[in-house]
Amino acid sequence: MFLRLLFESFRRQKRRKSVALLAIALGMSIATAMIAVGNDIGDKINQELRSLGANLVITPIEDTLDVNIGGVNLKPASEGAFINEQDLIKIKSIFWGHNIKGYAPFLSDQVSIVRPDRNIPVEIIGTYFNQSLRYGNETFVTGVRTINPWWQVEGEWPPDYADWPQDRPPAVLAGSRLATENHLRVGDILVMHSHIFRISGVLNTGGSEDGAIVAPLHLVQALMGKPNAVRRVIVSALTKPEDAFARKDPSKLSPADLERWSCSPYANSIAYQLREVLPNARVEQIRQVEQNQGKVLSRVSGLMLLLTLAALLAAALAVSAAMAATILERRQEVGLMKSLGAGNTAVASLFLTEAAFLALTGGIIGFIAGAILAHRIGQSIFGSAIVVHPVVLAVVLFAAVLVTFVGSAGAVRKAMQFEPAVVLRGDA
Amino acid sequence: MTRTQLLLRLLLKAAWVRKDRAFTALVSVAVVATIATAALTIYSDLESKLSREFRGFGANIVVTKNSGALTAGELAGIHKIVGNGGEVMPVAYAVASLQDGGAKVIVGGTNLEKLRRMNTSWSFEDRNDGGALVGARVAESVSHGGSWQIAYGHAISSITPHAVFHSGSDDDSRVYIPLEDFVRLTGVQPNTALVRVEGRPQEIQAAIANLSAALPGIEVKPVRQITQAQTAVVGKTRSVVLASSAVVVVLIMLCMVATFTGSVLERRKDFAVMKALGASNRTVNFLFASESALLALTGSIAGYILGCGIAFWIGKANFDAAILPQPLLLVPVLLGSVALALIASTAPLRLLQQIQPAGILRGE
Repeated sequence: MFLRLLFESFRRQKRRKSVALLAIALGMSIATAMIAVGNDIGDKINQELRSLGANLVITPIEDTLDVNIGGVNLKPASEGAFINEQDLIKIKSIFWGHNIKGYAPFLSDQVSIVRPDRNIPVEIIGTYFNQSLRYGNETFVTGVRTINPWWQVEGEWPPDYADWPQDRPPAVLAGSRLATENHLRVGDILVMHSHIFRISGVLNTGGSEDGAIVAPLHLVQALMGKPNAVRRVIVSALTKPEDAFARKDPSKLSPADLERWSCSPYANSIAYQLREVLPNARVEQIRQVEQNQGKVLSRVSGLMLLLTLAALLAAALAVSAAMAATILERRQEVGLMKSLGAGNTAVASLFLTEAAFLALTGGIIGFIAGAILAHRIGQSIFGSAIVVHPVVLAVVLFAAVLVTFVGSAGAVRKAMQFEPAVVLRGDA
Repeated sequence: MTRTQLLLRLLLKAAWVRKDRAFTALVSVAVVATIATAALTIYSDLESKLSREFRGFGANIVVTKNSGALTAGELAGIHKIVGNGGEVMPVAYAVASLQDGGAKVIVGGTNLEKLRRMNTSWSFEDRNDGGALVGARVAESVSHGGSWQIAYGHAISSITPHAVFHSGSDDDSRVYIPLEDFVRLTGVQPNTALVRVEGRPQEIQAAIANLSAALPGIEVKPVRQITQAQTAVVGKTRSVVLASSAVVVVLIMLCMVATFTGSVLERRKDFAVMKALGASNRTVNFLFASESALLALTGSIAGYILGCGIAFWIGKANFDAAILPQPLLLVPVLLGSVALALIASTAPLRLLQQIQPAGILRGE
């Protein structure tokens, strides 16, 4: 009997039911889309903030002070200590290896560009541009092209030579200021340290590199006679904004706390793990990047969280209002059922079962529509999809049932308070 | 009773007799108006609020004079363009040597208060009452905590750390002393000014253009990694807020239209009775439309006030600065809500007009 009543209610009131279903589906697609976007925005903005460049720097512990003035490195190449380039692959071996978006080693020296009329003293900086490396079974590409996206090259980026090329002069980049002041152009041939080089592009960074020659790392190592030597490595890692717990000294933490600390991708804990694999290196946060990006990130995530809450509340109210409106119009039906002898429990359970059925169907439709919307937003703004976690479906279905019940319950109670006779006469 | 009085009475009675129905309609309009107001208010202020967060990154423009020092007139010109909100920090560097061991060290001369203000991300460990800010690597290489001496040519200066800082950059290998002490030691005047301009990405670009125009022969360079990241993050966040707000507002609107349409269709008997009593289609349309417009107007005013409140609170809670109401939004929100309500309530009437009143009254 109950099932028949339920079935007939849906069959005979198609329009009324579809209005309620539409409202629930719309509300739930808002919920799905906003939860998905709000949940993923942190990761997406974190990726955008990587355009600030590296947030960690590795230098040898034994190194002497840097003597860098006006973008010119005055420290003799022979002075100080070096890191072994072969050890750098260990950076990917740490627990948070997947959060390491890339790294770039640097080695520099003072050289002279020999010109027919004069010699130009200049700094030559060696680094990876787009070096392909293997770690275990994984191949990854790293270098300044990914880590410092603001570096612009007019012409071509040089390849990362493994050995000194024999067939033609190796390619290097000339800094834009150096090129302008000395009339250097793409394609020009340079002589440095009695080796011939070819300018493949002019580099503009807005920084000190604009006054230097930037070359593949292995060429500079060969030029200096220091194979595998690296002076400094910058690392770009996806990190979690720092909080009070992140600032704790790991040596003073209990084993349980240390595990929790290490299992959070704080810049400090990534630096700690890097120090463990590179024992002779000093690993420091580049505080200008790391500290500030955390602030920006927490502001953006906070804003989306609050907007999501406001949208969820609005969706809940809209769905509740829609449910209340459909049930309020059915008070005559309630009157008829009651006059035929139905108890309050029977009437309420019929209405609430209807509501639950509508909520589940509307919730599923809304979830699918919301997931499509979130996907579209991700693709069009960030160029990568926003993935909706399956657990959101459970949350959305639960929310749909809850909201429709809240919306219906008040209206059903109200409808049942009237005397059936009054309602049927049309006086209520 | 005049026609107007009758209309008013009909409108008020319709709302009063079916309070529940009027209330649910009111809630659905208010929700649309609230969320639209809150989203648009936040969106309009987001760029400047988020740009403020980039203040902590420090200087975003570097001004360098390649020949000679920056003159007082040039510095005044920079100050004028940057305005009160920004910061201008002239700085000079020289290579000195540590008396203890003779290692080379870069000494910077500047206003130390400004240096701290510009670099809020650095961590400072206060040491004693001295006058120098010492980079962490320098402090490590001069292992004893007290004063030590540096030499520049034949001149010697005593350094007593006021604080030791960690920056993670080349600055960790530097010592900063007050500009007057620096000039006394080296005789060198600053040729560089680190400038922080506050504002939206386009305002920073404008400041760079103005500085270049006002200071001919002086190099004005943006710190591109910061300006570029600011543009990317602010732009993408705005797009996300706009896209998700648009989704929410459109869907909630549809939800409201569904509720409104549904409740008008439920009133087919009212419609039939009016028609049976001789009302023309126009009168009935007018009556239903006025009722909806009145509800929408009330709901949207309430929604506007609530939406402004929500935006204000979100600003306070998230950015520590209120997002103020935008009076310009009031008219579009009110008109939009009323127009939507009118469409939602008069469209179903067309359907009803095709049916004979007698048929509806018989319950067909």
